[in-house]
Amino acid sequence: MDVTVAEYIRRTVLKIPRDEIKTMLQKWGFLSETQLQTINFHQIKENISQDVVQLCEENSADIKQAAVLDIIYNHIYPNKRVWSVYQMNKTGEETEFFDLTDFKKKFKRRLRSALKNVTINFREYEDNAVWIRIAWGTPYTKPNQYKTSYVVYHSQTPYVFISVSVLKSNLPLLCQALVVASNYHDIREMELRSHSLNSLKDIVFKRYSQNFQTYYPRPLQERNMAPESGDLRIIQENRNEKERIQRVNQEVFGDGPQPKLEFAQYKLETMFKSDPKMDVLDEKEPFRCLVKFSSPHLLESLKSLAPAGMADAPLSPLLTCIPQKARNYFKIREKKGFFPGSFVSP
Amino acid sequence: GVFTHLEMLEARAHEAAVKQEETEQQEEKLARLKARVQELRLQRDELRAKVDLQQKGQLGKEGVVSDPAQPSARTVLEWKIKSVKAMLQVFYLTGISGKLTKRGVCFCISTAYEGTYLDSYHLDLLTKAEVQIHRHSVPIFIPLEQIAKKYLQTDIRRFLSVLSDHLNAYAGRRYQADQLQGRFSNRIEGTLQRNSLCNLLVFNYNVSSKSKTFPFNARLLYGDLCCSLPTEVTVSCTPDAPASLAEMAAAHSDLFRRVALHKAFCSFSSAEESVD
Repeated sequence: MDVTVAEYIRRTVLKIPRDEIKTMLQKWGFLSETQLQTINFHQIKENISQDVVQLCEENSADIKQAAVLDIIYNHIYPNKRVWSVYQMNKTGEETEFFDLTDFKKKFKRRLRSALKNVTINFREYEDNAVWIRIAWGTPYTKPNQYKTSYVVYHSQTPYVFISVSVLKSNLPLLCQALVVASNYHDIREMELRSHSLNSLKDIVFKRYSQNFQTYYPRPLQERNMAPESGDLRIIQENRNEKERIQRVNQEVFGDGPQPKLEFAQYKLETMFKSDPKMDVLDEKEPFRCLVKFSSPHLLESLKSLAPAGMADAPLSPLLTCIPQKARNYFKIREKKGFFPGSFVSP
Repeated sequence: GVFTHLEMLEARAHEAAVKQEETEQQEEKLARLKARVQELRLQRDELRAKVDLQQKGQLGKEGVVSDPAQPSARTVLEWKIKSVKAMLQVFYLTGISGKLTKRGVCFCISTAYEGTYLDSYHLDLLTKAEVQIHRHSVPIFIPLEQIAKKYLQTDIRRFLSVLSDHLNAYAGRRYQADQLQGRFSNRIEGTLQRNSLCNLLVFNYNVSSKSKTFPFNARLLYGDLCCSLPTEVTVSCTPDAPASLAEMAAAHSDLFRRVALHKAFCSFSSAEESVD
């Protein structure tokens, strides 16, 4: 077995939390159950990884199999990477049939025709998602297994989720291969980025909780009217206002959990408006500034701002439009039309 | 001298200005409070009227011997609520229901297949200027934009009908594929290859004949997105298989085109049981 492959497997195993190593190796399926039983999973990870490498040596693992283990690791811990969303366009109206074998063939062929030194692995999952792992080399060097890009694509959708590690120069190549393989015409990057792959999927696939007005009786309605617990001596003075805030919040954010984003960034290119007497940069040139909201869970924290009394309800649409507009990077320019407020560029 | 005099005048002017501001603020406050008092008086009058009404109701109950045959106001209200809920449930069960909103209409399309209710999808439409889709929860792989481009402006009914057909057919195809993977996993060799729309299924399955099992490969293409049955079916067996199996493959191919996937598999199982 190649020394580089051995080292790669060893390092991959070291990344896995100790309690998960056995399950992940079982999912991998490269080592037999009898082989796995010979490993003591209670020893320190350093030793476990050595044992695993030893067994892989016996089975003569090659880089393709090692890559599969890497995909499995990244599929279970996708939040360790930053994911960007790309949108593809096509003009035709024919029904898509998405043949997986066809897709894989086209993708590999397209990518390899531009760059021979790549390792490409595919893995399909139950939710119609195809995971693609690409390790990049150069025209003169073998693929570097530590410089990998990941692509997640759900068949018959125009969205691709890409996690590029270091080599951004290979991105156009990757995009082209995707467009060709999935029968689309072009691809562009959306202004949407997060660590949480599933939340990005929720946003673009519209799987997040939107509050639609329907007549269908929803059991949650009852829950809102639940009796106030506790001390009857405590009187809510602002009950009306509290209820109004709750109602407005529910209309905007829906009932369910929010998609998980870590930040929203607003690039302002608006004019600084000051007191005319002060004559500071007034209407002379745009005051460039960047406003960035960061949070472990941005949308949930925005949702709790008004009930916590820290902001007025309803919140600014610039904040609440994030899931619907499917973006968390905004450019705000000077208003040019009839609408109050700023003009948000597409 | 002059400067002290000026200073004094300035101070006086300043005082006067401050005083004026104060009086203005006081007047504003007074006006606001007066308005509030009006509000509260109105509220009080409303509440008084309500209390009177309720008291009269109570007296009515106590004064007259309550007729068991005549339902009380409360029971009537409860019955009304129940029947309205039932009516709304009926509308929901028809598959397409809607509610007027401030800016348009919100539609709910519910899907069902063979008597099982499946997922519901929503569309929030704006109808002020031209009809526009404001928000929706339709899956991204359903060609919503195409359907909207064709029908939304001209014929909303047709738009909803076509969309409902797409959604229901998709729900039906997915249901069949899930059933196949769930109930007949022991007959499937390897994985069932499917896609988001469930309009292309490829799988290998086992057929037993004369106590031997043979692998068949099936490829089901659903060309019509509004249909939950395939338009093209190819069932093939290995080249060295006996001739009778080729006939069986053709028969299966025909069956898959006419009958739901899981029902077809049900019939295989029962056919094999009866033979052996």
